[in-house]
Amino acid sequence: MNAVMRLPSKLGIGLIWAYRLTFGALFPTTCKYHPSCSEYAVQALRKHGLVKGSVLAGWRLLRCNPWSHGGFDPVR
Amino acid sequence: MILYSIPIFSQLEAVMRDLLKFFHTNVGLTWAWAIVATTVLVRLILVPLTIRQIHSMQSLQRHAPQMKEIQKKYKGDKQKQNEELMKFYRENHINPAASCLPMLLQIPVFISLYYTLKYFTHHFETAGQDLSWLHPIIPNILNHTTSSWGGYLLLVVYVASQMASTLFMAATADKTQRILFMIMPLFFVFVIAHFPAGLVLYWVTTNLWTVGQGLITRRLVARTPTPAPERRSSRTSPKDDGTSGNGASPEGPSPKPAPSAAQQQPRQVRRKKKRTSRR
Repeated sequence: MNAVMRLPSKLGIGLIWAYRLTFGALFPTTCKYHPSCSEYAVQALRKHGLVKGSVLAGWRLLRCNPWSHGGFDPVR
Repeated sequence: MILYSIPIFSQLEAVMRDLLKFFHTNVGLTWAWAIVATTVLVRLILVPLTIRQIHSMQSLQRHAPQMKEIQKKYKGDKQKQNEELMKFYRENHINPAASCLPMLLQIPVFISLYYTLKYFTHHFETAGQDLSWLHPIIPNILNHTTSSWGGYLLLVVYVASQMASTLFMAATADKTQRILFMIMPLFFVFVIAHFPAGLVLYWVTTNLWTVGQGLITRRLVARTPTPAPERRSSRTSPKDDGTSGNGASPEGPSPKPAPSAAQQQPRQVRRKKKRTSRR
């Protein structure tokens, strides 16, 4: 992918960092998954671009609920 | 500012405003206590999640020795250690306490309260209203926290409650992460000082709720009859239940010395699987 194509996902990753530095820090929590949800989101955006990456990250967030089991769950 | 232009946040603010108004006019609380009541309501809604957490903690405690084993095995490699631990959770159907979704659900509450307090005077008649909390500690919940001496007191309580709630949270956090979480409020105090006192009040309330919940949970976990693995601890090696690990389960002290489970692992795992599948 060239730099222009990667721009949207870069923006998304920027937003994740904004979250990490603000609310992620204000409401500290540990994730039951590895990699953590925000790390997963960054990796998903890098690998699959903004649209598919966001969908994957959103789905992961929904899975990160008290009824799920957590565990090792890398971006595929 | 940016967030407020997104329609959903202004709608959320309207919901928050109605909630506060309900507690103020219908229940007859002062505005400050209405904030406390709203916070308690939010946390009450989240209680079902807490019940799940109690189960998770019990399960975590049962598997603590095996997890320590893993931590010891991959001592040098944090990444690998984490991965192996997570795999272990999955294989044994352990559900570590913290998950991202409930935490994220609290962010909209926080943001809507922030905007409600920020634009409070646009929507409510404040002249002659009692906006204090435990007068004279906080004379006005809309003002910056540091605008009164009581605000500093509130900030101290905030830091203490935030640290305490960190102790009861983050079951899977490793030592460095937990220390980081403990130190963070000391830095955030400077940001929070510029928030309306009402928002800090929300924060302190929710933290204290977490602490109370943690204390009750601890009690419950400690009182639970210890299941099979604990009873078969004939070959307990005393060094195993020490503090060498990074506290995979900070909640609740283990009531009995934990067995060194390496040799018993296969049998235990099978057992646990059966248990969890029935639930």
